[in-house]
Amino acid sequence: MDINSRPVVVKRMPERLNSRTAREFLRDVRPFLAADRPQLVFDLSLVAQIDASGIEMLLKCMSEAHKRDGDVKLASLSDQAAVVLELTRTERLFEIYETSTEAARSFSGFLPNSMRQQLLHNKRSQPLAA
Amino acid sequence: MDIRGILLVNSEQRVAEHQTLGAQLATLDVVGKSTLQRMAERLQQYGISSVSAVVEATSNSGVRNLGLPSDVSCVSAAPDRFWRTAESVFNDMAQSGAELVILIRLGAYAEVDFEKQVQFHIDRKERVTRMASDEQMLEIFCISASRRNDAASLFRTQLAHCRSECPVLQHDGYINSLATARDLRQFAIDILTRQTQTCPAGKEIKPGVWTAPGAMIEKGARVLAPAFVGSLARIRSGAVITRCSSVERHAEVDCGTVVENSTVLSFSYVGAGLDLAHSLAGMGRVVNLHRDVTVTIVDRKLIASMSVASGKRFVASAAEVLAYLPKLAFQGIFAANKAEKADLHTTLKKTSPALGTAAGFETSACDTEASHKFPNMVVARRYGHQ
Repeated sequence: MDINSRPVVVKRMPERLNSRTAREFLRDVRPFLAADRPQLVFDLSLVAQIDASGIEMLLKCMSEAHKRDGDVKLASLSDQAAVVLELTRTERLFEIYETSTEAARSFSGFLPNSMRQQLLHNKRSQPLAA
Repeated sequence: MDIRGILLVNSEQRVAEHQTLGAQLATLDVVGKSTLQRMAERLQQYGISSVSAVVEATSNSGVRNLGLPSDVSCVSAAPDRFWRTAESVFNDMAQSGAELVILIRLGAYAEVDFEKQVQFHIDRKERVTRMASDEQMLEIFCISASRRNDAASLFRTQLAHCRSECPVLQHDGYINSLATARDLRQFAIDILTRQTQTCPAGKEIKPGVWTAPGAMIEKGARVLAPAFVGSLARIRSGAVITRCSSVERHAEVDCGTVVENSTVLSFSYVGAGLDLAHSLAGMGRVVNLHRDVTVTIVDRKLIASMSVASGKRFVASAAEVLAYLPKLAFQGIFAANKAEKADLHTTLKKTSPALGTAAGFETSACDTEASHKFPNMVVARRYGHQ
């Protein structure tokens, strides 16, 4: 059984997230959201300005991902993004991580115990690289 | 004895703009009145009836809306002529017979005992005396009006140096440096918790809740003590104002928004279904005190500033009504005739109405695994108003 076959896609969000850039961003990530059990991480470190349509887009991505049994996680929130998410009560809907790496790693953290043990066993049984 | 007062308000260059909302903090309303107004009233309480305010004219603050008492004269000065104007106001006072002039630069708000200060000045027989609080020097001076050269040297050095020796009187009352947005917020808390001699500018409608004339709290809105709602401010249905929050004059808090330990500045609009906590909102900005960051909000559905001119506000609201009526008629004719049956669970699933319709979005904090196991379980918000 190949546990790591589903990739985690990390996308960096643009500096200004208004209706136009949100639409463009959604168009970019749509193919990833259409996959089976999509796993996406949005990096918000560059975001300096975000409006209601930007938040709406995030919710839409999350909704699409949930429909396909996947998830969208947020990482490296800039202060501006964090304040707007807090203001609009949307920060409680997302899992938020300090870094994109932590967010990507968190996807494997929810594997059932049996699968995780098998993954560990596989790793141990692999011969060391020369 | 003829004692007069001069209040100076100009931009504070020593403090970064992100900490000050880009405005003169002394002219912003705090629990109903600006610091400038409170200081002018305090001088008058001590019998100093002739008070002049010199305010630096900036693009952000309208000098005509300072709300000073009618007998306080207000002079507006361009930034490059500010100190010259202040000096000429002092000279005018001296020429018209003043014996002592109390000069205050705001700045810090200090509840000074002016009687004690004047007595100290007379006892020491000095030209200029100053106030200090602990190790910090305050920009509050008492100047003998006949000593014009000493006053001139003070004004020309922007109150940094005095020509003669300047004895210091220690201030032991309330003081707030009012240098940053955090100080402004602290000042509001101190007034609401009655740690100052100055009071909220309104009527106490129930213990700890003050409202100014014309404040409108709609049915279903909750104002929890201590809190203040300014004149002609509007708290829409379902909104909650709590924990030392202050909504200043002409501000509006829309439906379902929670304002917690925050100040909504005058002429500001806070959108529907938001959570404003530990912040100052207004002028299209939010200063989050927890994160120590100022965020410019471009989306008028979230935070907006309203026009100070009543005519413009009237035109804006008339345009809103005109745009709303055809929309309502269109919806009535063409929209599906299915009445939406709202229940508690559906309501809890909704996000802020300010976000519009996030199509197909059905996930929320209450949509958990447990909620599927227990269909009758709901997750209530901590204020319990929904």
